[in-house]
Amino acid sequence: MYSNLLLGKVVRLLITLFIILTINFALPRLMPGDPAVMLLGQDAAVITGSDFTELKNKYGLNKTLGQQYLNYWQALAQGDLGYSYHYRQAVTQTLKQHLGWTLALLIPVVVLSSLLAIVFGTIAGWKAGSRLDSTITCSSLLMYSLPQFLIAMLLLKVFAFELRLFPLGGLASGNTDSAVSYFLDTAWHLVLPVLALTVSATSSKLLVLRNSVAKERHENYIIYATAKGLSTCRILAVHLLRNACLPLLSLIALNIGFIVSGALVVELVFSISGMGTLIYEAAIYRDYPLLQACFLILTVFVVLANTLADLVYGIVDPRISLSH
Amino acid sequence: MSSFRLSAPAYCGLFLLLTLLLIALLAPVLVPYSPSERFTPFALPSTAHLLGCDDIGHDILTQLILASRVSLLVGITTAIASAGLGATIGILAGYCRGYTAHFLNSLIDIVLLIPMLPLMITLAAYLGPSLGNIIAIIGLLSWCSTARVVKARVLQLRDLPFVEALQGLGIPEYQIILKHIVPNVAEVIAAKFILSVAYAMLSESALSFLGLGDPLTISWGTILYYAFHRGGFVNDLWYWYLPPGLCIAAATLGFTLLGFYLEQMARNNKLKALTEDSAHAA
Repeated sequence: MYSNLLLGKVVRLLITLFIILTINFALPRLMPGDPAVMLLGQDAAVITGSDFTELKNKYGLNKTLGQQYLNYWQALAQGDLGYSYHYRQAVTQTLKQHLGWTLALLIPVVVLSSLLAIVFGTIAGWKAGSRLDSTITCSSLLMYSLPQFLIAMLLLKVFAFELRLFPLGGLASGNTDSAVSYFLDTAWHLVLPVLALTVSATSSKLLVLRNSVAKERHENYIIYATAKGLSTCRILAVHLLRNACLPLLSLIALNIGFIVSGALVVELVFSISGMGTLIYEAAIYRDYPLLQACFLILTVFVVLANTLADLVYGIVDPRISLSH
Repeated sequence: MSSFRLSAPAYCGLFLLLTLLLIALLAPVLVPYSPSERFTPFALPSTAHLLGCDDIGHDILTQLILASRVSLLVGITTAIASAGLGATIGILAGYCRGYTAHFLNSLIDIVLLIPMLPLMITLAAYLGPSLGNIIAIIGLLSWCSTARVVKARVLQLRDLPFVEALQGLGIPEYQIILKHIVPNVAEVIAAKFILSVAYAMLSESALSFLGLGDPLTISWGTILYYAFHRGGFVNDLWYWYLPPGLCIAAATLGFTLLGFYLEQMARNNKLKALTEDSAHAA
């Protein structure tokens, strides 16, 4: 039964990836202006005359659209995402140098914000209507409305400029000798950016979880559990969260896209050389191949993360495998 | 609905919004100087310049007041586009059956997965920085959450006896949708519209902060961009980077508080209405 479901998910993933890759192909060709400039980047546009025609030939831009589309898939299959004229290296090379840092930022944020949302969301939902609930709800609404870069700037100002507890930015101090101290040093550099992102990523999840817990607590099985004399902790952890955590799983997965978007801006504030800095520079220098590759990689990452969550959902929830 | 009382957070939201709207409307009267006038660069806050001057001598308070118009305008126009689009797609996805529904549902599922900011950055870089482009980009990309909520509501409505009765009477589908479905989801759309304004303003400020805003008009995000990239933040000139940030936060908070309140109200009303309907049916 479960394998059928698995197959369905994989087919859906493939269709989604196919559509996203096609959008990626179509975007520069749909934009106003010479698609050659859109594909090669602004830095290549200074090349004129016969050189430019030669370049066009080299990238197959004089061929028919159908032929270009085939070539695009061929190049993708070979892992070729084009050449960045700004960085003067293959786009995949540039991506390799930057993607890791963004992941180092993203993964702790996803874990931390989910845990915080579960803890505070459950408390607020369980005590819905109380003063504690309104405090938690209002403060998370406030966090939700603050732009992420403002949170980042304020954290940087207070904890790095004023209190000097954390570095001003970057990823490493450069005076580390062993692997352990390098790791600790980098972790120390990542504290503030992770915190900045966690604040906003927590708030949106917290509000949804609060509502579902607030609804769930009036269900019969909770009343029964209370009547049995179970402690509140046990009811929350064993009975209520188990039901509330299923929608939470897809929520966490969907939230990853939001965190990725936030990471781009926060990286810039903390001058972390991850995807955010890369996409910023690509946009400023109109380095279109790089820009597109960034969009592609981030989107594929988010789609994969969501599919993974879907699969876990199927394992965690016994009802899914039974009903299908 | 007999006791129509706003909750305290909704009051706060409304107050924040009215203040900001008033400032935006009265901007030409409120500004102390003309936006093109130049004074001493990096002037400190004084009675003449309450928030000092930026790196090329523009009065920051003047910029801040004028930017309220741009930021709110972008937020509201974008939200009209995205809520309109989301409502249309949501209603069709919920009401139709067969291939149309299947197509629209897959569309919603796929668009929901795409991380928005990278796509917005890519499009903004291709299309070039202008206010119209930013409105179009954010509007065309942020309809998904509205569509999802509206769809869920229409799915509930579609199977209610009154809709079945209308269909049985042979009323044209478009008329059922416009006259009977739309009024029933209006509350949800209104709440989502208000929340969309907040989302649009945050997206606009992020794009502007990344330097993809319209260089000819100044929004709160653009002021922050200049403050961050031209030494305002590094030199800790709080009066330059903090006010625009707080303005964005105040506006989005206002819209969010009001939107969440409307959403909650719509949820409660709808539940009541639905149970009444089923009671009549029984």
